[in-house]
Amino acid sequence: MTEIIVVTSGKGGVGKTTTSASVACGLARRGKRVAVIDFDIGLRNLDLIMGCERRVVYDFVNVIHGECTLKQALIRDKRIETLYVLAASQTRDKEALNTEGVKKVLEELAADGFDYILCDSPAGIEKGAHLAMYFADQAIVVVNPEVSSVRDSDRILGLLASKTKRAENGHGGVREHLLLTRYSPRRVATGEMMSVEDVKEILGLDVVGVIPESTDVLSASNAGTPVILNEESLVSQAYEDAVGRLLGEAIPLRYIEEPRKSFLARLFGT
Amino acid sequence: MQSLFARSRRTGTLRGFAVARHSARAERSEGLKQFPMSRAAEANESSDVALEIRFGPLDLAQVRIRTLDPGAILDELTGRVATAPRFFDRTAVGLDLTQLEQEPRPEEVRGVADAIRRAGMLPVGLVNGPPYIEALARALDLPVLAQFRAPSKPPPVLQAVAASPTPTEPESPALLHTQPVRSGQRLYARDKDLIVTAAVGAGAEVMADGCVHVYGALRGRAMAGAHGDTAARVFCREFRAELVSIAGVFRVFETLPKELAGQPVQAWLEENDLRLASIA
Repeated sequence: MTEIIVVTSGKGGVGKTTTSASVACGLARRGKRVAVIDFDIGLRNLDLIMGCERRVVYDFVNVIHGECTLKQALIRDKRIETLYVLAASQTRDKEALNTEGVKKVLEELAADGFDYILCDSPAGIEKGAHLAMYFADQAIVVVNPEVSSVRDSDRILGLLASKTKRAENGHGGVREHLLLTRYSPRRVATGEMMSVEDVKEILGLDVVGVIPESTDVLSASNAGTPVILNEESLVSQAYEDAVGRLLGEAIPLRYIEEPRKSFLARLFGT
Repeated sequence: MQSLFARSRRTGTLRGFAVARHSARAERSEGLKQFPMSRAAEANESSDVALEIRFGPLDLAQVRIRTLDPGAILDELTGRVATAPRFFDRTAVGLDLTQLEQEPRPEEVRGVADAIRRAGMLPVGLVNGPPYIEALARALDLPVLAQFRAPSKPPPVLQAVAASPTPTEPESPALLHTQPVRSGQRLYARDKDLIVTAAVGAGAEVMADGCVHVYGALRGRAMAGAHGDTAARVFCREFRAELVSIAGVFRVFETLPKELAGQPVQAWLEENDLRLASIA
């Protein structure tokens, strides 16, 4: 069975694409066949984060319009051989997508034996975001610990519960997971940032992962390497945990508390 | 039309009249069905039908006018609109002229309507009342709107039902919603209470013609007595609401009162005043 997972948030800039790339890598490294699709038509980013921007010949829109085959458009990752990327078109707009076309591509990927299809949603609640979530079985709602992001995520959760195929067919709805990104335990401690518990309580959902705020994310993006592959980074370990939890493993949350300074460090004020 | 609208209110206050309620429902659903269906059938035959007419209840706010001075009305309204601009923006309203001490002249009503329009709302008709309303409506070329309140005498449909005891499905007295109501979602329990066993998010709206019960945090808007039932109440386990309204009397919470924030709270109407109190 192919599981379709949408990575969405409503708000822009919270880390949807970073999450899509890292979760896709994490799943693929565990031996799953994974395709990750960029639904952000016109603002193509996923290929940059995945480091395959120079290998994009055909894209998602070409496939939907029948200008190439799906095989021609799928880009195989150079690091993990069970991972494939379907890039967005940079020259078109979101109107180039349609329900029938998206459905056909997803069905073809499922028939091809992919275990997971990750749909990297654009920001907003318009057509692109709607199509990214419409066929999903599961959703990763990416949220930053601040009020506007939480509000937008609440809106997205409402749409997931009403405007998806599973919701319409009454098949028990989409399984929803919350992923907190850019989490800074220090700022939570000083009351500047909402805590995991605050966000959980407002959205009424369990947390599949908490990704600490780190400069590693930016440098990984610039290098075209999904941050999960930077093994030394806390971010990588946090994403690795999240992937485990997605697959049903019970892993306690890490990096949600400020590391205690050692006695000596406190003494010398460093 | 009169009985159609009257029904909505009756259910809140006169629950005992279950028979009357069902009959009114049956009558309405027939009324709803017949006309549009025959139209729809035609539409299927030729898709170039110029229009379709449908009957159904619409939510409509009423402005009860107590003075004919447009200046005073505009002052009062601008103040209220400022507290919740989006709530009132281009809201359709019916003018209720029945509380005026004397019969207004058409030009006076026109002045009042202009004042309301300047405040951002759109007067669409006159609320039904004494016979002079009909004459006024004609003079102003406005429709007369059936009033959303119980008629003083019991509706005639009561006997009609007693004569034909058709078994009706026992109707659930409340709409139960167990999922969180998310930002941007609206939930409306027509003719009944609404029970939400999860949280109502900020920017979400829960409405009922009867009472609203929220067994989670209420962060959005709650409106009880949406069709004018002043006995309806709002209950919630954790009060963080943006707006609470009962029978159109509402309060916006720009800042939450300290003694109520996060508390179990109920809201009710007392002499047209919205009261809130902790029920902890």
